[in-house]
Amino acid sequence: MSKFIEERENWRLVQQALTITTGADFDVKLYAPLAKRFQELLNEIIRCSREGDPFLISYYACAPEIFVAMDLPWFTSLASAYLGAVLPGHTAEVDESDTWFGKDYCTALRVGALRVLKDQLPIPTAVVALIHPCDGTIGFHQMLKEKWPNVPIFACDPPYWEDDERSLHYYVSEIKRMVSFLEEHAGRKLDMDRLREVIEESNKIIKLWQEYSELRRAVPCPHGYGITVQAFGAAQYVWVGHPDGVQWFRDLVANAEGLVRAKKGKVENERIRIFWFDLTPAHLVYDLFVWLEKEWGAVVVMDMFGHCPYELIDTSSEETMFRGLARRALYQQPMVRQARGMADHFLSDIERVVKDYKINCVVWPMHMGHKDGSAIVGLMREKCRELGVPFMSIGMDLFDPRYTTVDEIKDRFTEFFTIMGLG
Amino acid sequence: MTRGNIPLYSPERIALKGENEVETKVKSQALKEFTEAVETLANPAIRSWREQGGKVVAYSCTYVPEEIITAAGLVPFRMRASRSRGTELSDTYLSNINCSFCRHVFNMALRGDYEFIEGAVWASTCDHSRRICDNWKRKVGTPLALMMSLPKKTTEPQVEWWRDELANLKEALEKHLGITITDDRLREAIKTHNETRRLLRQLYELRKKDAPPITGADVLAVMVASTAMPKERFNQMLKELLEDLKGAEGIKDYRARVMIVGSILDDPDFIKVIENEGGLVVTDSQCVGTRVFWTDVDEGGDPLTALARWYLQDKPACPRIFDQTANRSKFVRDMVKEFKVDGIIGERLVFCDFWTVEHYLLRTKLKAETPYLSLDREYLWAGTIGQLRTRVQAFLETIER
Repeated sequence: MSKFIEERENWRLVQQALTITTGADFDVKLYAPLAKRFQELLNEIIRCSREGDPFLISYYACAPEIFVAMDLPWFTSLASAYLGAVLPGHTAEVDESDTWFGKDYCTALRVGALRVLKDQLPIPTAVVALIHPCDGTIGFHQMLKEKWPNVPIFACDPPYWEDDERSLHYYVSEIKRMVSFLEEHAGRKLDMDRLREVIEESNKIIKLWQEYSELRRAVPCPHGYGITVQAFGAAQYVWVGHPDGVQWFRDLVANAEGLVRAKKGKVENERIRIFWFDLTPAHLVYDLFVWLEKEWGAVVVMDMFGHCPYELIDTSSEETMFRGLARRALYQQPMVRQARGMADHFLSDIERVVKDYKINCVVWPMHMGHKDGSAIVGLMREKCRELGVPFMSIGMDLFDPRYTTVDEIKDRFTEFFTIMGLG
Repeated sequence: MTRGNIPLYSPERIALKGENEVETKVKSQALKEFTEAVETLANPAIRSWREQGGKVVAYSCTYVPEEIITAAGLVPFRMRASRSRGTELSDTYLSNINCSFCRHVFNMALRGDYEFIEGAVWASTCDHSRRICDNWKRKVGTPLALMMSLPKKTTEPQVEWWRDELANLKEALEKHLGITITDDRLREAIKTHNETRRLLRQLYELRKKDAPPITGADVLAVMVASTAMPKERFNQMLKELLEDLKGAEGIKDYRARVMIVGSILDDPDFIKVIENEGGLVVTDSQCVGTRVFWTDVDEGGDPLTALARWYLQDKPACPRIFDQTANRSKFVRDMVKEFKVDGIIGERLVFCDFWTVEHYLLRTKLKAETPYLSLDREYLWAGTIGQLRTRVQAFLETIER
């Protein structure tokens, strides 16, 4: 559990730093309760592990409302690799993972796998695996199965198709099988009334998140980088179906609303509005994106994880709740939404976001692990050409700052903006 | 030699002579024709078929049910990129972190080298391959281009789902061609393909001998040919080859018996390099290899259900399938025992995530029993022949008898 405890300590220090920062921007103030919540989650996992209470490894796209309703704490093994990119010792860990899995396997999965193989994570009661959208996830969970042969593991099988009744019916059945699996192995029963409560809180969060996303359409954009992915983390990981999450989003919406009314943007002279079509990398947030705002008046108005095309789930019956959860898991959650099936969701999302958010340019970071998206980079370019917006693909590692350094990325942006006449 | 500029099967790419060059001793017309069939896409058998009015449907992966294509009166043709010279066209659409096999296949399609096909069918297997479908549909004028949603698990609900997908494929072919694919036609196709499997098992049986009569390179040519010509013709020719090999002089002077484990390997020259160093390739677990013929499809009952069950549950799985790791390692272990394998060479196309973890898991499980060499390669590998020889030499030195 060493990495877990280390991570919990890191979040404690972050939260301490944030809460004593006086005169801080709203962004900073907003992160403090999130940091506290991360600690609470990790504390809960540590407690469960020590006291023999059930807990899971799982993911945001595995209908986490069910875990919350069954009172099953859960954590995502890959979040540590994401957040760890800002910490000292991370690159050494990445290098060590190379010796096990080579250099072209997604860094997040490699580092996550390394921590499992080195017994640095608590062994869960069960794993609800996410075996899509990318190839790497299957291998990762196969490795988990081999390392922890006594830990039961279940994965919902995802259909490839988009939004047809047959696929939805199939996935609803898979989620119900997941519930049976959890009831058998985690010893908790799913109560439909409790699930309804959790989903209704989750719906409140989603509705507020949608409002917030609409406010970001304003010119100038009221907030900059970072908050979009925080919103995702709040809604889909740390505060799934939790009233504290509702309050966090109310504060977020209130602040954004005030700024939009006052026609105030994050950047005084906003000149470029960017759609960053992937996860915002933790190690670049305080360098690249700050530079973009200061140097170019370029705001990341929207990113993949901040895009909120979620529907509210109908809680009138057990069937409508399961259908709603299935639709969310397959068609709405980021990365899974785009990468699971045909390329059309990548392209339609570009079209939607460019139009709704008045985007000036689209950036595909081309993370070394996102091979399926990178295999349609030409189609993305063509879509942008059709929409009349410039497109840039970078080629980087969202979890390793050395793959393409921040200075190299800045040079790419400078060249791109200059050639395209932006800013 | 520079990588990418040398056609895959051209004379100038023949592997450098190693210390123990091996070859199949018997002269066989069938083997000669198989080898020729592998050298180009629209090989003589395919050209002859088309001249008679026949049509061809390409497919991306071993999970696409060839039998349904055969039952439609078409020839199933496994996608490859024989004689590809580069990826200058496909690199506009894909990226440099995508699999070179897919980039070469798509490049050939963009160049018009796949104009001989009536249709193309993909299963949603790997990230690279499935995106070729997205690109192909938009950029290549193949009359029919279809994707199938392949499950990632193998329990009964997935068999039912996959059966429905097979039914959808059947319906799409029927609609496109204006025909009906009856259950009887399906059963006939299953019988024909099972015959292929039976004959291939007979061929592999010969490789269990201490002095196998045929090299691994030649067997790979036979395997690739099995995916590139009408099945009845292939079966007839394979029977001729098996007859030719009866009593043939075996290969005795080798240093070690090797098994190849990996994904899509369709270049016999790659095997030739290994064998010329003294590593006789006697068996495999590969896409163009034992995983497609080691068991038969059930010839009774509903043919679509039989096919769904075979493709998903019965045939040895590849690492794209989530819940079959234990069965896959057992399959490899059994092969090692049956074929008296001294060492395993695990080959992986660079950027293949499935085989990254699979080779790690297999190495870990098997290393105490069987030495394991992991090799990364690009689809066009001529420029790295020196490195390949060196690594194989070193490996064989550790395992030779």
